[in-house]
Amino acid sequence: MRTLQHSFFRYGIAVFFVGIALGLSLLTHQSMPESFLFFFLAAVMLAGWFGRTGAGLFAVMVSMIAVGYYFIPPYRAFAVELDELPYLFSFLSSALVTSWLGSARRNAEEKQRAHLDELFEQSPEAIMLIDRQDRVLRINKEFTRLFGFRFNEAEHLRSVDLITPAMLKAEAAESRKRLSEGQIVNLETTRMRKDGSCLDVSEVSFPVVADGKCIAYYVIFRDITESKRALEELHNAQAELAHLSRVTTMGELASSIAHEINQPIGAIATNGSAAVRWLGQTPPNVEGAEEALDCIVRDANRAADVIGRIRTLLKKNTTPMLNLDINEMIREVLVLTSYETSRRDTTVFIELAEGLPPVPGDRVQLQQVILNLIMNGLEAMSAIMDRPRQLRIQSNRAADCICIQVRDSGQGWDTRHFPFVFDPFFTTKRDGIGMGLTISRSIIESHGGRLWAEQDTPHGAILNFTLPTT
Amino acid sequence: MGRTGYSAWSHSELHSSDNMKPFSKCVFVVDDDQSMRDALKNLLRSVGLEVRLFASAQEFLDSFRTGMDGMADVPSCLILDVRLPGLGGLDLQHELTAANIDIPIIFITAHGDIPMSVRAMKAGAVEFLTKPFRDQDLLDAIHVSLAQDHNRRQKNARLAEFRRRLETLTVRERELLPLVVSGRTNKEIAAEIGTSEVTVKVHRGNLMRKMQAVSFADLLRIAADLDIPYTKV
Repeated sequence: MRTLQHSFFRYGIAVFFVGIALGLSLLTHQSMPESFLFFFLAAVMLAGWFGRTGAGLFAVMVSMIAVGYYFIPPYRAFAVELDELPYLFSFLSSALVTSWLGSARRNAEEKQRAHLDELFEQSPEAIMLIDRQDRVLRINKEFTRLFGFRFNEAEHLRSVDLITPAMLKAEAAESRKRLSEGQIVNLETTRMRKDGSCLDVSEVSFPVVADGKCIAYYVIFRDITESKRALEELHNAQAELAHLSRVTTMGELASSIAHEINQPIGAIATNGSAAVRWLGQTPPNVEGAEEALDCIVRDANRAADVIGRIRTLLKKNTTPMLNLDINEMIREVLVLTSYETSRRDTTVFIELAEGLPPVPGDRVQLQQVILNLIMNGLEAMSAIMDRPRQLRIQSNRAADCICIQVRDSGQGWDTRHFPFVFDPFFTTKRDGIGMGLTISRSIIESHGGRLWAEQDTPHGAILNFTLPTT
Repeated sequence: MGRTGYSAWSHSELHSSDNMKPFSKCVFVVDDDQSMRDALKNLLRSVGLEVRLFASAQEFLDSFRTGMDGMADVPSCLILDVRLPGLGGLDLQHELTAANIDIPIIFITAHGDIPMSVRAMKAGAVEFLTKPFRDQDLLDAIHVSLAQDHNRRQKNARLAEFRRRLETLTVRERELLPLVVSGRTNKEIAAEIGTSEVTVKVHRGNLMRKMQAVSFADLLRIAADLDIPYTKV
């Protein structure tokens, strides 16, 4: 029925345009005898444009009849003089070409539009077209699949009301504002489905510009829930590995840590008996006892500090990002390794720059990096017998970052091994697992810094890392 | 004083020794750990001992070589941490022996292994204690060390005195001494050195007087201390 109406409309249009052409030709025939040619050709073209090929040909046919009847001798008769046949024939060919041009142009445009529609509709990304008031003009199949809204449910509704969770409305409004200023807006955010459930999306919005004027906006959504979860899982796995490596390192440090705790505990015991003796005298020497008790308090705090630091490093979860004093962190780690360095007959040179700005970071992770680099340096020198074992730790300030350098006087790396020092499971140690530097690098990179190695001359290794200060 | 153990060192004694003889005895402590140094200072002062603290072996050596305010002259001992930055405890022990500085050493260490303690004890250490140690063990060791040092000093002082007395003898008297302590009679000595028995008797009397020997047995002991050799009959 629809098709019938449609065909009727198309042919009606052909008759309509030819009718107008005829009217105009009759009106102007007296002054301009040949004007009918232009009017009819125009009518044919318009019929071809609006009614496509069929209507165009129909218009040619009707035009031929009209022209033959009214404008080619004998006038007002459905007959043509023989002399006029070439004339009529050339009109016919012009009309046919004109009709073809009109319909072909129209067909091409229709095809292109159909392609664009297809692209919009079949796109694997969810696409929404909204007007400048944020009202939904069009959505595609993937949008319906992703969000659950069909077009009739979304049409003319504001997208902010449709898919933006209440707590993110301000963010959405901000993004629309930037959009209205002509910017392309890239967001990673959360949107809401029809059933109220949320999903993580990457949202790209851009203005549709026609004649230099913004008329609407396209918003393209990609579901990133999966990739985000994968990333989170990767992150968790990395944290787990880092924790494992911390625990391993702490195991290697066990004797150093025991010493660090033993020392204040021994001092407490000794001070305790000193206090008892001071008080046992007649008369009791309170002043002496007080001094001993003060020492006990100080040493107990020292032991508690060490234990606290170890517990923090052994914690599974990472700590929040804070503004950290890198020098203080280096000193704290050196407390844990001090016995280890003396056990290994290593001299540690500490050259920390004064007045360094704080760096935002995860205390545990960064201390792990420092600890790794120090332990690596110590182990690299364990075979050195013919020269002093020296570990040099420096902190310096650069333009927009802090540089930390750990330098040992060990063997350095074999040139063949050097390119692989950051590879997972690469190790030059007999019982190493080869994750220390890999983990350290990923920690530093997640802080926006860099970690790299250099060979020192004539021997030794240098490990540097940077941490951005802003 | 202090012969029955540390308990004999009372506060009043510390007081009196403070007033009369500033440093009657002194304990040196070399430990790089501040807590440990302070704790040892508190403990030793609570039993009336004078304490000198050093953070490194080098600091101790430098201070000792410059005389240490006369403290090197009173009975003393050294409490020494094995593990020290730079010059280690065992190295210091070696240095002291090489420099002929005879001071009893008590080693303290956080992780003493057996080879290390054997090495220390062989080199003459009085005691080798592992931290945390019982305060009584340390005080006992200190007592032994101080007594040992006191004896050594007394012996050295006595020997120095005997040597001084020996210096006062004439050539003839000195010639006579080994013969006398070897148990020869005046007659035998007279025959041996070719003089009269009366002369020998006079020399022997001078010998006893100059060496301040109250009896022949006393002279024998002095001669033994001075390593005067017996001469064969």
